Amino acid sequence: MILQLNHLQRKPAAATTHEVVDTLYSLLEEGHLEQDQFAHLRVHLDWIQYRQNFRECVTATKVASERNECLFPIEIHIDTRQVTPGVLRDEISKTMMHIGEQSTGEQRRLILEDFRSFRDSIAWGFNRLYWYRLPDWEQFTGRSYQQALPGGKSDANHPAAIADSVADFWTLLRDLDNRKQLPEEIFVLEIGVGMGTRSGLWLDRFRALDQERGTKYYPRLKFLLGDYSLATLERSRPAVREHINLCSFIVLDALNPLKNLSFLRHKILHIHLTNVYDNLPDEEIARRDGKLYAVQVRAYVPSADADRISQEFGTPVAEISRTVSRLLEGGPDYLGDRQRGMTFWQEIWKAMRLEERLLSLDELPDAALPDGLHQDHLEEVLRDAPSEVRFHLSSGALESFRNTLPLLYPRGFLQVQDIFVTKFNEYRLGFHGPGKLDGSIVNWVNGALLREVGERAGYDVHFAPFHYRKGSKTSILYTTQRE
Amino acid sequence: MNLPMLPTTVVGSYSMPGWLERLKTEYFARRISRRDLDEIHDTAVKAAVKDQENAGIDIITDGELRRDNMVDYFVEKLPGVQIDHASKKFYYDLYESKVLGKLPTAPLGLVDDFRFLRANTDRATKFCITGPHCLSKRIRNEHYPSEEEFAMDLARVMNPELKALAKTGARFIQIDEPYYSGFPEDLAWGVKALNQLVDGVEARIAVHICYGNRYGKPTWEGSYRYLFPRILDARMHQLTLEFARRGGEDLELFRELPPRFELGVGVIDVKTQAIETPDLVAERIRKALEVMPAERLFVLPDCGCLHLPRDVAFAKLSAMVEGTRLVREELKN
Repeated sequence: MILQLNHLQRKPAAATTHEVVDTLYSLLEEGHLEQDQFAHLRVHLDWIQYRQNFRECVTATKVASERNECLFPIEIHIDTRQVTPGVLRDEISKTMMHIGEQSTGEQRRLILEDFRSFRDSIAWGFNRLYWYRLPDWEQFTGRSYQQALPGGKSDANHPAAIADSVADFWTLLRDLDNRKQLPEEIFVLEIGVGMGTRSGLWLDRFRALDQERGTKYYPRLKFLLGDYSLATLERSRPAVREHINLCSFIVLDALNPLKNLSFLRHKILHIHLTNVYDNLPDEEIARRDGKLYAVQVRAYVPSADADRISQEFGTPVAEISRTVSRLLEGGPDYLGDRQRGMTFWQEIWKAMRLEERLLSLDELPDAALPDGLHQDHLEEVLRDAPSEVRFHLSSGALESFRNTLPLLYPRGFLQVQDIFVTKFNEYRLGFHGPGKLDGSIVNWVNGALLREVGERAGYDVHFAPFHYRKGSKTSILYTTQRE
Repeated sequence: MNLPMLPTTVVGSYSMPGWLERLKTEYFARRISRRDLDEIHDTAVKAAVKDQENAGIDIITDGELRRDNMVDYFVEKLPGVQIDHASKKFYYDLYESKVLGKLPTAPLGLVDDFRFLRANTDRATKFCITGPHCLSKRIRNEHYPSEEEFAMDLARVMNPELKALAKTGARFIQIDEPYYSGFPEDLAWGVKALNQLVDGVEARIAVHICYGNRYGKPTWEGSYRYLFPRILDARMHQLTLEFARRGGEDLELFRELPPRFELGVGVIDVKTQAIETPDLVAERIRKALEVMPAERLFVLPDCGCLHLPRDVAFAKLSAMVEGTRLVREELKN
């Protein structure tokens, strides 16, 4: 048996470890666990910092083949943050009892989907719905999405960070100008504009610096605000009203900005995103005993929650899954009245968990890696990674990144402010998602993979800690042209 | 060898297959031998030659598939250049290299690669050489008093190899100087180094100048206006330029190009996978014909096809050939 501590919180780890080992030995002695099973067990102790997440206190992850047979190793994940005195033994026992079953404890769960890659999970349907119906959600909860962030506000709008970003950009413009390579129209793109606050502050600062230096770049600016929601773009207008003549509002998909902006290929001098990548569809890969596995998931609602929701809404448990589909297709109004729909949405979202299984990458018909990342490339990258590691593929972020870089003017740069894992080793020191942030999903972004993919696309990728606010977990990714 | 009106050619490189990229990287990781890699290269070059023939290209190259990139192929062959072999992780990365003393003269071994090309096709052929200006920007100079002197000495060392190529039958030789566009202030000495490189070489010399194609993206932007008037001092027969991606605005600059020069006009954008239609190619050629008579015009892509998938590269070259055929028909009529 391998016991792996994936976090640095000493107290919960010490107490839980003792109880876990004790329980597993008891199960072995009582005959509930075969010796062979015991030998192949891997127990992971995690500390999940997100108050809302997709995990129960104890969960099992099986290695499965396409034929649905259970193979070794068997993984148990324990969230030490959820452990309360006296419950661990029961939870582990229940989980281990069901481990041999073809379908892990289906009778204890309302299953909402079949096993699939996380990026295709119904969970992202909820995430999409949240952004489309953000005003409804905010009205219902009585707080804005910014207030729902862990710090209660976004680091995106920090004046000193914006001033530095503007200064870097101005320096680039002056350098290109000196080399007579500055285009007449200076395109800048902000993807994921929120309330437009950052764009407004950036433009204020740029205008001031330009006037101070007398360079007359400001009137040449073409500032593009891009977001996939027209409603969000509308909400951002007041923040940039002083610069409105320089601004264009463009509906675009963050996964593929090039699709709507292909006419600006190689023309944009600066592109910026804040907290977009951490909210793009994602999936995980695990390496166990030298083999790569895709982590597949299926969403479920624990039976106790399903029963409670069934009673509260007068919907038979068997009908809940269909009602969820209707909610995701038509929004909360589709359930009779909006108030009822909103409540149902929140209840399901809060209760929803993800069951996991590992599927060998060799068994996937088309190794489902995002564009720009081949399996041999991934294996090359993993040569220097810890031998046993589970990590995020950040497929949505990689896709967005790959589809944004071609927009850059030569020597133009991309800047992304987000939560990044920059070395694979960090995956063994803490939990990096998925977590629930109010109605949306959050995942740390695999910066190490972005760096590799960036290099193959002609950009060196660098990370700088966000030093403007003490305790901030965000970093700033920026690109430089690779020689 | 007789060439048709508006001869079609390529800038040099052909699509680098993913499997070849992986095998090259395997070689750097010492997991396959040099002998195996050479055999793999021979096979890949034959395939690239066949593809160009099948697409109907009039003047073909070896696809430059033996080259890791346009710099290292020469850096590895130039005597006196020190290379940090650990500096390359992926085959396409550039070596860290430097010169610490005066470059000695020695054969570079390019002739063997040209002979292989000749042995595998009946078509007219072209051999491409990275120019001394470009090389002087990539190799760290720790000996010569100036970049200019370094570039002039690179040209001196490489000149005998070009003469040997011509003697072996290389009728068309193309010198690649993309860094001119990034360092227009160097053009005066860049052209001097170019002239030193081709001095006494009995072949038709084309000079290819683009805005960069490293990783399939431009490295610089601007206007070809900077080329004038200094480029007219170059001992060349043909200027080969990038027009498809950048639009044809700069074409007007070449209306007054003296009759001793031909113009190679880029009609295929190699930085996008969208495949041009023959009609679009024909339109681009017609636009070029407004400033340059047909007998002085060559048709080719903007730059090498290295970064395009093979099927895309082949389709683009085929469209280029078909578009050229449409214009030839019009000119006949």
